[in-house]
Amino acid sequence: MENIVFGIGITAMAGALASVAGAAENVESDIGSQGDPNSQVQLAPQMGYIHRIFNKAIAGEPPAYGAWCAIGAGLAMGFIALQVNPILALILGCAITAFVQGVYATTAYLGRIASLAKFGQPVYIDILKSMTTVTMAHAFVAIFTTVSLCYLMNAALGHPFPLPLLGIVWGIALGAAGSATGNPFYGKERQYQNQKFGAGVPVAASGNIVRYAEAGQRNSLDNGWFSAKLGGPASGVCFGLIVFLELWRTVLFEPVGHGWGAIIVGVLLILVFTIIDRYIEVWARKTYGPYAKPAEVKT
Amino acid sequence: MSAIGAKPAAGAEVNTTASIIGLILTLIIIGALYVITKDISMTMALIGVIIGGVLVGFCVHFMPVGGAPAAMGQAPGIATGVAMLAAGAGLAGLFGGAWAAELGMMVAIVAGAVGGGLMMAITCLMVSVIYVFGMGIPAASGKSKIDPLTGDTQVEFKSQGTEGHGLPFISYVGGVIGGLLGGAGGTLVYIELLYLYEKELPALLQAPMPEDVKIVAVSLAGIFAVGIFLVSSVLAAYNITGTTEGPADPKFKRFPRDIVASLLASAICGIFAILIVAL
Amino acid sequence: MTVSASVGAGAIPHNTLIGVGLVGSLVGIYLTYLNVITGLQVFSFFGGIGAVLALVWGSNTIKTLCSYGIGTGVPSAGMLSFGSGVIAMLFATRYGVAAPIVGLVLAAIVGAILGYCANQIVNMKIPVMIQSITEMAAIGALTIMGYTAMAAGSFSMIPLMSASHLDAGYWATFIGASFIVVVFILGAMAIQHPFNATLGPSWQQDRMLYLAVECGFLSMIVIAVISFAFLSMNAALVSLVVSLAGWLYFYMEYIRLSKRDAAMWLDAKPIVEPEGH
Repeated sequence: MENIVFGIGITAMAGALASVAGAAENVESDIGSQGDPNSQVQLAPQMGYIHRIFNKAIAGEPPAYGAWCAIGAGLAMGFIALQVNPILALILGCAITAFVQGVYATTAYLGRIASLAKFGQPVYIDILKSMTTVTMAHAFVAIFTTVSLCYLMNAALGHPFPLPLLGIVWGIALGAAGSATGNPFYGKERQYQNQKFGAGVPVAASGNIVRYAEAGQRNSLDNGWFSAKLGGPASGVCFGLIVFLELWRTVLFEPVGHGWGAIIVGVLLILVFTIIDRYIEVWARKTYGPYAKPAEVKT
Repeated sequence: MSAIGAKPAAGAEVNTTASIIGLILTLIIIGALYVITKDISMTMALIGVIIGGVLVGFCVHFMPVGGAPAAMGQAPGIATGVAMLAAGAGLAGLFGGAWAAELGMMVAIVAGAVGGGLMMAITCLMVSVIYVFGMGIPAASGKSKIDPLTGDTQVEFKSQGTEGHGLPFISYVGGVIGGLLGGAGGTLVYIELLYLYEKELPALLQAPMPEDVKIVAVSLAGIFAVGIFLVSSVLAAYNITGTTEGPADPKFKRFPRDIVASLLASAICGIFAILIVAL
Repeated sequence: MTVSASVGAGAIPHNTLIGVGLVGSLVGIYLTYLNVITGLQVFSFFGGIGAVLALVWGSNTIKTLCSYGIGTGVPSAGMLSFGSGVIAMLFATRYGVAAPIVGLVLAAIVGAILGYCANQIVNMKIPVMIQSITEMAAIGALTIMGYTAMAAGSFSMIPLMSASHLDAGYWATFIGASFIVVVFILGAMAIQHPFNATLGPSWQQDRMLYLAVECGFLSMIVIAVISFAFLSMNAALVSLVVSLAGWLYFYMEYIRLSKRDAAMWLDAKPIVEPEGH
């Protein structure tokens, strides 16, 4: 009994850490225009829209976060092997990783912008100065929380994987969840604020990203502020649910039926989420209605 | 995933000669392992690894991934890279499967599948939530007029100047199936290698306590599983040229040639993963 | 480092880079064998230098492949090459002194078959596909082996997996603690980043190659920190100093080249609208 209560506590804590990680990851990648919305930041100068947005094209978010979390976990593991206190080891490892992330971010911005010289896009060096540190801070939060939850899984819940392997597994999952949930909100709602709400961005408008802010010219810190309102928290909920439910069903129900209990609960959860998704889809179709009359389309 | 404006070069046709050569090479590799090791259990392990690799390649075809245009609501699907989304789901499944490894192969594989499916179910649900409640956009497929599962018409829900957006129900189901297959495939590769290493490594490392070497076996099987997963999923991503709407997409029909490619790729990677403890 | 120093205005042909990468990385990895001969551990950092040279070669290979448009992002090519490279490399560690050569040959075989899968079976019809994936799998194996030798001081299987030299137990060995995953992902990021970060209409080869060296040294810093767990304090410090110095030099050089190629280099200035807008 005590064991189960302990497991539930760790599960809850891991879920909370994962929520923070998802939110920080999404805000970080949106400040850097990493992932798919990057294509528009890259495209805008070619269409004649010079901008002051941070263009941090490191890789897609899943490989990038797989890398950061594995590096952070590996460094922490190295310090643990050196008999450093685990919590200090996690902090040191993640701090060094944040440095690596910052270096990658600056080289990516300089490289992409210098290669856009043909279209007259200047390198705004103040963007590097003011935004790299902000992405590094967010990245540190995301990496530290993810590596910490990996450490909890290994040390407290007894998962067989060593820390760096857990780091790459959950780092890639974090990047996948964060980019899937957060990218459309940043890519459509923020970059294309000038387009109609409630519709996709027409292909013809590609590259015409919003470059001016409430006061002055928009930079990526404005985008981080915007993402923190919905895209970030939603990504946090997504990754938090993934980690929490995965651990919860295993910790509580794995002893039931020689492992099949956890599987049945997992299948039930999938069915519940499927029903919710279908409900949302139908709700949207009814509430928002079609863009064109069915008769028009048939021709 | 990246900003490079890649033009898909691959067509849909099957290269029959190359496929037959691929199948023959796969059989040769399996035969070679048996000739080298004279060990039927190792050969079975290789076949398990190959099946796992094929499942991983197959799972990518179900993933509804729209790539960069999806982030602007210009194309349906999830806005990320297809190989990496499959890796995210499959490795989350591998996490669950590895945890259940001691409960037997069947339980572990099913646990891995459910782990991957659950990850995709939550991710796809949150994608729908963001599209509907964050951006006010209903789901519409670009390539099929009617959702084959629900019968919902799609065309009139497509906003002007786009190829559709969001996750229609068929794409959602495709994502979950993809997660299930990816989790099962990744776990199968891992479990086959883990059982083999747990048996062979103690003698190879001359460890006094076989139980101590378990962590090395877990680690080695884990990194090989990640490696084979990435190889197989990237090949499948090449097959569908990076984006797909899931099972309703015409590109889904390209899966036979990826199965052959995954067979051969997993066989060549798997034989080295097994021979490391065999020679 | 003579490679990058000689980068001038003219482009370096790919075959030259293959030669430099192949020979340089093998020599670098084999120099770590001085550890065994002399009984010291300070020669470990040569493994990292070898890996850097392999990455320089790899960045150009990725450029060659990805200019064809492979349908998905540049990073995927790095994942494919390192996914196959790590398998060949781990298998090759069985062969002791011959490991780098065996790893190179086996990775090339695996890569050729994967290239055949991608080009013929999946029917991508990209002329350089088979050669590029063969090269990249070999680069993956060499890079992982170089960094592994730098971190653990050896590229043989028994020292990497066995606990004989450690009191802590198998959980703290190089493979047992999965440090190989860190090496894998550091290499996979470092091989794709140079081209992914500099692609665009004003792409310059020398800028990309400098970035490749910078990424390599940056990975070396991480590896050097990890190597404190395996090597003597002095050896790990030597590695750390070499990597920091190399990284700093090439980072500054890369910034200089970016400044050379950029349209304008502005600090806290408003948007400069192009003419005609």
